Amino acid sequence: MKILLFIAAMLVILAGCSDGRNEATESASAGAGKPLVYTTNYPLQYFVDRIAAPVVEVRFLAPGDEDPAYWRPDAESVLAMQKADLLVLNGASYEGWLKNVSLSPQRMVVTTDGLGDFLIPLETETTHSHGLEGEHEHHGTAFTTWLDPTLAAAQAASIEGVLAARWPRHADRFATQLAELTRELTALDAEAQAIVAGNPGLTVIFSHPIYQYFIQRYGLSARSVHWEPDQMPDETQWRELRAILGEFRAAWMIWEAPPLPQVSGRLASMGVRSAVFDPCANTPGSGDYFSVMRENLETLRRVFAADRPPAGR
Amino acid sequence: MRDVIFMAWRYLRFYRGKTAVLVASISLILFLPAGLHVLVEQGAEVLTARAETTPLLIGAKGSAVDLTLSALYFRPPHVESMRHREVTRVDRSGLAHGIPMHLRFTAGRQRIVGTTIDYAEFRGLTVDRGRWLAMLGECMLGSEAARALGVDLDDHVLSSAGSAFDVAGSFPLKMPVVGVLAPTGTSDDEIVLVDIKTAWVIAGLAHGHEDVNSAGKDDGRVLQREGRNVVANASVLSYTEITVENMDSFHFHGNPDGFPIDAVLAVPASFKASVLLRGRYEEGDVPVQMIVPSVVVNELLETMFSVRDWVVLGGLAVGVASAMTAALVFALSIRVRRREIETIQKIGGARKRLVTILGAEITFVIVMAVVIAGVLTAVVSRFGELAARLVGA
Repeated sequence: MKILLFIAAMLVILAGCSDGRNEATESASAGAGKPLVYTTNYPLQYFVDRIAAPVVEVRFLAPGDEDPAYWRPDAESVLAMQKADLLVLNGASYEGWLKNVSLSPQRMVVTTDGLGDFLIPLETETTHSHGLEGEHEHHGTAFTTWLDPTLAAAQAASIEGVLAARWPRHADRFATQLAELTRELTALDAEAQAIVAGNPGLTVIFSHPIYQYFIQRYGLSARSVHWEPDQMPDETQWRELRAILGEFRAAWMIWEAPPLPQVSGRLASMGVRSAVFDPCANTPGSGDYFSVMRENLETLRRVFAADRPPAGR
Repeated sequence: MRDVIFMAWRYLRFYRGKTAVLVASISLILFLPAGLHVLVEQGAEVLTARAETTPLLIGAKGSAVDLTLSALYFRPPHVESMRHREVTRVDRSGLAHGIPMHLRFTAGRQRIVGTTIDYAEFRGLTVDRGRWLAMLGECMLGSEAARALGVDLDDHVLSSAGSAFDVAGSFPLKMPVVGVLAPTGTSDDEIVLVDIKTAWVIAGLAHGHEDVNSAGKDDGRVLQREGRNVVANASVLSYTEITVENMDSFHFHGNPDGFPIDAVLAVPASFKASVLLRGRYEEGDVPVQMIVPSVVVNELLETMFSVRDWVVLGGLAVGVASAMTAALVFALSIRVRRREIETIQKIGGARKRLVTILGAEITFVIVMAVVIAGVLTAVVSRFGELAARLVGA
């Protein structure tokens, strides 16, 4: 009996030693025996989960109270992602931190790689030069691609393609689940189109320049400012808004999160009502991607059903 | 019999100078071909083992041997750089996965290998101390590189400055050592491993500097500001170490697809994929070459073996000449010792006994030479692999 216990103890020790030495190739999937997939925002996590559950385990590292677009992984997070079987990226300049980390290109899938023609370049390009290096530019594209359900469907298809290539045994399941997801996205798109078609001339202001793909998809007449929902805009920003309203009459400002009451109150005094359209970049407090988007459409239905803005201000 | 051995030994000891010369020359005659054979065989094993685990290699057109020696054994690259888009080309073929290698820089005498984390997995590298590369600007050391540079975990390594004429390009980058690789017995033990993007930072293709876009008009660093175009003077401070605080300021100048690399390790999905991919590079109008390292190394080894055979042949010829000279030395020695031999005969020494004593002397010399040659060959056999790697590195 003692000999058996000794052999068992030695096997446990040996197993422990081997685990510590092969961090590069070890996949964290070992835990539940499922392949491990990391994503860089909630919509991608949701899409992977819808397409590949229960075959893979999906993880998303950005903290719940942080916008994943501005999250910066630390070394520990990068090491965790190195152990993934697949890293699903949004692309379209979303993962600005990618240039600062060491991750396996072999395990990455950039879901917007085939969508180059649809990506919207940002207008905030800067050019600078110094020393002997000459002029160089900093530029990017708008990144909230999942707000256009047709682009979201294309991203989901891209994910399914990679998953099926990586785990061909489950290709049929992935295809079936993708078809269901695409059907729901198509329905979402049709509903949004119907809402906008009800009041095609409505003009709105977005509180943040993150709705470009939604605006592009539904041909909205919209302008954006750069306000934070949890901050009181300074007087310069109010002046900027007044200037916009002078040439672009809008009765609604659409926010990514509920604004401060004093901000919505001051806007109301200017004849601008506030509504919330959650871009759903991070995990919602309750519900999922579709429940948040349907709630957004209900908000839009209210906005687009409202009267046209008054002629004078 | 003991008296014969005693007489022979006493004679050799008395003429120890002559004995030493004879033993040394015969030892060398025996050792040279044997040692050379062992050394070449072990060098060949080291070379072929690494080449055989590297399925395909892509590099700029030119010497296939130079490309192989630089990408596999980290000799200074003498071939032209190529663009990183060659990695993309391999990946998009769907037939193989490309691992880029940037090999232009050194830290001290150790080569800085800029690549991706896939390289570690491909070579089966494991961490001995610390962790893997995670952030831009970090480095890991091979076990021998750590010893040669005299640094370890949490120390820093400074990349060697580029050419004195490269006034606008590479600058020394101070890199924290985040891990030391476990010894592999290959040239990977000699490297400073960095991410490919870190190599491009050293090359001056990416850099971080003080924020000039938000600088005011009266800021002395700004020469001109027109809309979104900012022209600053050379006093803008460029960072020489990448830290958590300044990391976000690092940016690349241009599309990384156009950035330089020195080789691509192409890892095909299957043998069929390998053949198809080779066909595309051999038939297509591509600006690069694809080689099979094992073929190149085997050709190199054939040359080595050919040289070895000539050296061994020469050694044998020298050996025959030396053996004849030794025979002459022994014959002359007997003539010189005529009076000594006559004295032995006069005091009753039989002719047979005399011949036995002389034979024992010759046997002693040859046995000593064989033992010394054997020891030398064993030493070469024990340390030949290390020597071969040092020569290769």
